[in-house]
Amino acid sequence: MKPRVAITVGDPSGIGPEIAQKAAADERVRAVCEPVLYGPPNAVAFPPGVVSAEAGRAAYESICSAVRDAQAGVVHAIATAPVSKLAFARAGLAWKGHTDLLAHLTGSSCVAMMFWSEPLKVVLASVHVALAEVPRALTRSALDDVVSLAASELPRFGIARPRLALAGLNPHAGEHGLLGSEEEQILRPAVEAACARGIDIAGPFPADTLFVRAARGEFDAVIACYHDQGLIPVKLLAFGQAVNVTLGLPIVRTSVDHGTAFDIAGQGKADPSSMIAATLLAARLAARSRA
Amino acid sequence: MLGDPTGIGPEVAAKVLASGAAADAARIVVVGDRRVLDLGMRDAGTRVPYSVYRRVEDVPWPAPAVPVVDLGNLDPDRLARGEISPEAGRACGDTLRTMIEFALGGRLDGIVFAPLSKAALNRGGYQFPDEHQMFAALTGHAGFFGEMNVIPEFATFRVTSHVSLRRAIDLVTPERIEAALRLADAMLRAMGHNPPRLAVAALNPHGGESGLFGDEEIRIIGPTVERLRAEGIAAVGPLSSDTVFLRARRGEFDGVVMMYHDQGQIATKLLGFHKGVTVTAGLKTVFATPAHGTGFDIVGQGKADPGGLEYALRLAARLAAARAV
Repeated sequence: MKPRVAITVGDPSGIGPEIAQKAAADERVRAVCEPVLYGPPNAVAFPPGVVSAEAGRAAYESICSAVRDAQAGVVHAIATAPVSKLAFARAGLAWKGHTDLLAHLTGSSCVAMMFWSEPLKVVLASVHVALAEVPRALTRSALDDVVSLAASELPRFGIARPRLALAGLNPHAGEHGLLGSEEEQILRPAVEAACARGIDIAGPFPADTLFVRAARGEFDAVIACYHDQGLIPVKLLAFGQAVNVTLGLPIVRTSVDHGTAFDIAGQGKADPSSMIAATLLAARLAARSRA
Repeated sequence: MLGDPTGIGPEVAAKVLASGAAADAARIVVVGDRRVLDLGMRDAGTRVPYSVYRRVEDVPWPAPAVPVVDLGNLDPDRLARGEISPEAGRACGDTLRTMIEFALGGRLDGIVFAPLSKAALNRGGYQFPDEHQMFAALTGHAGFFGEMNVIPEFATFRVTSHVSLRRAIDLVTPERIEAALRLADAMLRAMGHNPPRLAVAALNPHGGESGLFGDEEIRIIGPTVERLRAEGIAAVGPLSSDTVFLRARRGEFDGVVMMYHDQGQIATKLLGFHKGVTVTAGLKTVFATPAHGTGFDIVGQGKADPGGLEYALRLAARLAAARAV
């Protein structure tokens, strides 16, 4: 039996409803799963391209019902269209995005955001924080958690014994302490400790050449220290094809790699390829986790 | 300048000289040790007819063969290949110092060098954080200057470079952004873009998303870009850094001004590692070098790609010609 995949439409004033419908109607998607759309019943109540508390609240409610259904086994995976963090904030919702909301709804204490594409797979050690906060956010325990999570979750994707690499925080991975101390004080000890736990991980490596090496196949996944460090290479190598996967949830959840694109919402020209890729990967993971 | 002879520098130099590839763009003089050029010809499996001169001003133009100003300062047969050599580093530094004297004396219009080993330069007594700071010191430069990375699709310019990420964030100031933008505008004009279309990368993820995570875009970057736009610099931004390079690759921008080292280097190395050129921008003399390194893993095998050095020569010629106007 084909898995049922929930597709949440995201912020109803963005391009989410459009790409969700296109993905649900896509033949490749229908060949591998039974898509089910989750969104507000009165879509016309949300003018395209406008950030509003109402749209933020509606996006939130669709996600909540999809998660409830996933936990009850009514659907087997969730693929999500983009939400607006600003609309969430206007609606008084404390979550910065899907990942922390899903962790809250499922009671998961340790989650991480991963970007999956054929040429490159990246796990983020920090996500939606100001760059100035990143050095403080990269604590030893945060790194231990994300490394362990990557090692334990990647087998779900068919990578039985993942070869991981950690990117450095500073230019040239700190160049032996000349350009920053985090590599020697925090990152390298975290890698050594992970190796001692039996995890196949190397680094920290200079980020600018690490992604070239990973794309050539030297590593199965890279752990990036901050959002743009991971997203710059993913988008350059696989724009429109990368899928955001949440590691550490009891349910399968994938997402698009782009935002709400309010500037082109409601015009029928949004590219659904990332939404389709996210739905296809959700179906594949659902089939695997039910097997 | 033939590069560090423990690496592939002499080989790519011999290949470019043998093919005459950049001879239409510039009058090329080799400065260094003729024995290093001989080594490069052996590595490349090619012959380059050359004539030795004592001084640059002795070379007659058009030159009958490749002119070489032989400094006689390094016997490459004494060196192990594929290994860092302080002796080679010292000689490379000495050669560059001599070339800078030639340039400051008006006898050279630009300096192009095949790949150097930073570690060898350091151990050979030239202790600088990077070669750009070495060139600034040797040319007696005061004021803003910076590394420019050029790939066929676009060029990048840096607000900060070889400092820790923590320090880089502190250095994202209106003054430095303005200096980097003005430098980008001037360099790209010299390359023939008129006016150059510049993008300024944001510092924070999603450009700070309206201040939700980081406000440097609102406080510092945005107002600086607006002020310079009002003065006629065709800059836009701050733009989210995970898509700005995609847009530049599609041809939307000629240059991207980046806030910190890895932001631009991740993109340019993924897009054009073998075609890329590094320029030291903002000094009295034009400096250009291929973006690739000394290639210790393929040294002496004859398979090094000379495309980066050829592109560096063409770019330096173009930048020097724009100054002469």
